[in-house]
Amino acid sequence: MVELLSPATLLDLRTLAGTGRIIAGGTDLIVQMRSGRNETHLIDITNIEDAPPAAIIRSGVAELSAMASITKVVDELNGRLPGIAAAAQVFASLQIRNRATIGGNLANASPAGDMIPPLVAAEAYAVVDGPSGQRRIPVDELITGPGRTVLEPNEWLSLVGVPLFEGEEGFIKLGGRTAMAISIVSLAWRWHRSDHGALTGVRIALGAVAPTVVRAHKAEAILEGQQPTADVVMAATDALQTEISPIGDVRASAGYRQAVAGGLLRQALATS
Amino acid sequence: MNVNGQKVSFHSPAQRLLDYLRDSLELTGAKEGCGMGECGACTVLVDGEPVCSCLVLVGQISNADVVTVEGLAGADGLHPVQQAIVDCHASQCGFCTPGVVVSTTALLARRPQPDETEVREALVGNLCRCTGYQAIFRAITSLGE
Repeated sequence: MVELLSPATLLDLRTLAGTGRIIAGGTDLIVQMRSGRNETHLIDITNIEDAPPAAIIRSGVAELSAMASITKVVDELNGRLPGIAAAAQVFASLQIRNRATIGGNLANASPAGDMIPPLVAAEAYAVVDGPSGQRRIPVDELITGPGRTVLEPNEWLSLVGVPLFEGEEGFIKLGGRTAMAISIVSLAWRWHRSDHGALTGVRIALGAVAPTVVRAHKAEAILEGQQPTADVVMAATDALQTEISPIGDVRASAGYRQAVAGGLLRQALATS
Repeated sequence: MNVNGQKVSFHSPAQRLLDYLRDSLELTGAKEGCGMGECGACTVLVDGEPVCSCLVLVGQISNADVVTVEGLAGADGLHPVQQAIVDCHASQCGFCTPGVVVSTTALLARRPQPDETEVREALVGNLCRCTGYQAIFRAITSLGE
């Protein structure tokens, strides 16, 4: 029989950490356990009284709770961080968003996790908490492979810090349907667009095209300082396709993902 | 935990809310369709928000107010959402209906007169394999008129 403990304070959580698997919203873990994943002790982190607030703004950074439901975080953001909000909008369903957390999506470390690309494009950091205190890690260094992170078994994600941004940002995904679909390819971006259309500060992150969410550094460099003319966009999408290493699976072939990744970048440049 | 206004207690904190409701409390309105959060047939309200009861462990919500489809009807008859589903013939096999009703109740609490986009977005997590959804949307839209 599985045991579940629900510590009420961070102090209690620090004491318990390491004695079982940490569970937040549980929307993936509970399904995995039903399919045979063996966990005997669970430590719930959704009832911590002194957990971080859902979202607060602190000197140019939005600190989002990794332990609160995605619904609560986005409600609290109230229109800020549109890239995060766009990803949340197509994240599973309302029922799932009311339980699932940003911390769980990161710790689950799926290459297709929809909250991850906007965090990577924003160069966000994660605050990892545990018995020996807190440490701060860039989100793109947190995940090391499918289902693998640098988290120790007695550590949990406390919050993510997302720099606020004045330019354009967004998230688009291609899935089998709008809701409840695992992304075939997803793309998040941030850039400034000057009055005459030149892009600066270009940041592009893609999901489901590599073992982890990846930045498209070469495509970013090609777009940087340029107006996205047909030639520039062609060069950027060509470069982007050399930076990703998609696999073929039940949802799409590798070649389809290659083609669609370039298409999503074109769409992002045209729509935002 | 309160379920439909009644204080209840549980013995197995790691039990899924859906199993607790159906097996221990014999509230069988919430259904297990997929057990993975895909279908929404198990939707109940936890502190007013719709969740999949197959993806919640009771120990995680030990202080919550839970409302199941059984808790919606008043002493004077069906909840307006239930009545609208009946009036518009929006239930066929009926397996998804409790979840649809619960999700709709939560939507109307937030947005008393939702437009069609809002209705569709509120129900993306509730699959219906019989109706093709049109009768369900008609039923919900009729409530705002």
